[in-house]
Amino acid sequence: MRRMVALVLAGGGGEALSVLTTERAVSAVPFGGKYRVIDFVLSNCSHSEIAEIGVLTQHAPASLHDHIGAGRPWGFDHRSGGVQLMQPYLTRSESEWYLGTAHAIARNWDRVEALGASRVLVVSGDQVYRMDYRRMLMMHERRRATVTLAVTRVPPQESGRFGMVRFGADGRVTELQEKPRQTRAAHASMGVYLFETAALRELMQERPADMVIDVLVPLLEAGEAVHAHEFTGYWEDVGTVASYYRANLELVAPTPRLELHNPRWPVLTRDEERPPVNLREGADVEDSLLANGCRVAGRVRRSVIFPGTVVEPGAEVSDSIVFQDGVIGRGAVVSRSILDKHTIVGERAVVGWGDPPGDPAHAWLDGLTLIGKDAHIPEGARIGRGVVVGLNASFDGHGGEVPAGTTLPTRVWYEGIA
Amino acid sequence: MPRYAFVLAGGLGSRLCLLSERRAKPAVPFGGKYRIIDFTLSNCVNSGIFDVGVLTQYRPYSLNVHIGTGRPWDLDRSRGGVHVLQPSLGSVQSDWYQGTADAIYQNLIHLRRRRIDEVLVLSGDHVYKMDYNVLYAFHKASGASVTVAVTEVPEESISSFGILETDRQGRVTGFKEKPKRADSRLASMGVYLFDRLALVRWLVEDAETPGSGHDFGKDILPRLVARGEHVFAYHFNGYWQDVGTLDSYYQTNLEFLGDHPPLELGDPDWVIHTQSADRPPVRVEHGAHVSRSFVANGCRVSGRVEHSMLFPGVTVASDAVVRDSILMHDVRVGRGAVVDHAVVDKEVRVGDGAVVGEGDASIPNRACPDHLSSGLLVIGKCAQLPANLVVGRNARIGAYVTERDFAGDVPPGGVIDGPQSMH
Repeated sequence: MRRMVALVLAGGGGEALSVLTTERAVSAVPFGGKYRVIDFVLSNCSHSEIAEIGVLTQHAPASLHDHIGAGRPWGFDHRSGGVQLMQPYLTRSESEWYLGTAHAIARNWDRVEALGASRVLVVSGDQVYRMDYRRMLMMHERRRATVTLAVTRVPPQESGRFGMVRFGADGRVTELQEKPRQTRAAHASMGVYLFETAALRELMQERPADMVIDVLVPLLEAGEAVHAHEFTGYWEDVGTVASYYRANLELVAPTPRLELHNPRWPVLTRDEERPPVNLREGADVEDSLLANGCRVAGRVRRSVIFPGTVVEPGAEVSDSIVFQDGVIGRGAVVSRSILDKHTIVGERAVVGWGDPPGDPAHAWLDGLTLIGKDAHIPEGARIGRGVVVGLNASFDGHGGEVPAGTTLPTRVWYEGIA
Repeated sequence: MPRYAFVLAGGLGSRLCLLSERRAKPAVPFGGKYRIIDFTLSNCVNSGIFDVGVLTQYRPYSLNVHIGTGRPWDLDRSRGGVHVLQPSLGSVQSDWYQGTADAIYQNLIHLRRRRIDEVLVLSGDHVYKMDYNVLYAFHKASGASVTVAVTEVPEESISSFGILETDRQGRVTGFKEKPKRADSRLASMGVYLFDRLALVRWLVEDAETPGSGHDFGKDILPRLVARGEHVFAYHFNGYWQDVGTLDSYYQTNLEFLGDHPPLELGDPDWVIHTQSADRPPVRVEHGAHVSRSFVANGCRVSGRVEHSMLFPGVTVASDAVVRDSILMHDVRVGRGAVVDHAVVDKEVRVGDGAVVGEGDASIPNRACPDHLSSGLLVIGKCAQLPANLVVGRNARIGAYVTERDFAGDVPPGGVIDGPQSMH
């Protein structure tokens, strides 16, 4: 019998990430110059020698499925199983979408059971960290736990984002609170759970919806051995624009908390074959990450640039994240912005212009400008701070100026063609 | 229509000096992340040829590792794909490959059951992008028994190539291997398309010819032309480069840094595939300056890099300067060090404050004055250069040299030999 299989929860659409998740799951959002968020967890599984994994998808799964494929980059493409994608499906008696993370697992329980492991590791695909799950398994076995949750210290003001956990000196969990405003607990649950398969099996018969409310809390209340395993390394939930932006920009800090370069624990991803980064005459780059296939002749500061993006002469990109195959035209300026794939910034256009909107309704954007996929920003246009540009959005009727705090709606790609 | 190609990849590449001392020429790194053979293998798959035999002989290890199962080229197939064909015992003949033609002759068994009318014979030594479909079409249309792809070369370099003379229809009327003088400037690219049965007949005939060097260029083609076989030349107009010498290797690489690169490496319709390790994006740190350069994933730059090519995983520490140089995988340049006009093989370490490429460029290398006299210096794989060492131009520092191998600075044209062989 296998010791451990993993289920990766990757169905979340993450309203909070706005246009970045219009057409993809949070787990599939690009991160760190060439990766997707889920690469961190898949690499953790691969390096922890977990050979069988299930990935539960629901929201806009196409890009995730495309990315994972047969799981080759992570070594999951072996003869006996490897990676299975578990999407919502119809049966004669059930026609519901996944109601929550626990429900997603319950609907696929037969397949989980078929993997034949004595323990099931359940992890969220939306988080960035490097962790050897084998150490957690060791602790779990030593303590004879029913379930072990990985926990990590978070600042008190962030407790409202997390499930907060209190535990004793023996590691035994005494209290679980879901997203409390205030708490005495210093540790957040990382969304990494290691279950005895038998214990999980029983709860899956009860049609649970939520992992914490319908699974963990009942186990705790029943007096089962619920243990905490403290993780002290880098861990970031990138489910909000502010945390996503911060986690990316931290990578270009002089001494980043997360070191992407680690030959012993490389982050594995599906790589496209692109030529080396081409830094042209006049290029002026500091404090930045640039991936293969980029061509830079302008100025780049404190930014993360994905494969194939072109920064033309005289253009300037600072404190920004630019996804694959963008073009920053001559003399254009991009600051404190996130540009999704295939964004074209016309010559002399300004993205991230003027003051941020004062309205607290825009606080979630933290003054950032968000540009959805396939936007074509006209020459000389000025896009204010706190602006959200939908996918393939139209700039008609804005007179070349989009004031702070504006939202331009998403259009389907064939609008204006057919 | 199934197609099959042999890729000749056994060459010594002796004029590439240290770069091909421990690897076959097709395995020499090129273009900031590729190996020379990637161009030919990518041409095959981009032309729809997914059945390829790679003939190796000299130091095949790094080529074997590079090709592996052929995955990057989509050549890991249940039928066809890529096969590495090394000289072996007990086939038709039990010996090393005596020449390019003999290499194919010893592998004729691979043509027995293949349902093909033609056999494509390629060289793994050249940098070019070519759609072989056009060659097949030309071959069919001209009614040739063998078609030789040719390209125009400058007058002064005809003595390095096989030179063909043709009539108006493209039929080859003369073939001279490395002539001093010729009326034609059409050089054979080492790309041949043979009718399968003609090839078999000619190879058997050549194998039985006493005194033959068993080489396509030297022996077989001149013989075929002389006796009036249907040999045609297909004129290729694109970029083609035989990176035969260290100087041409260096220049060809640096041409890619200019405003008009000889080949578009990023063409999504003609991807140059290679085996690449998963490395993080390039990290350009505070105080760094990088311009007119290629920098591949996995590199970290804190110092200054100008007009240079950095392969994956190169580190350039703060205050270091890299100028007009090619640094292969995982080279580390220490703080304040200078590397100027150098070709530096994989995993070399340049100590803090060392100066590599200094002084008189007119003194040729003591050991190989013919290949190392233009001011360029070369450092072999895994060499370790101590801090504050000064290395003169045209110097040659052998692979696996350690800090203890240096008695003092290396003068222009100097030589530090490494241990004889590591594998």
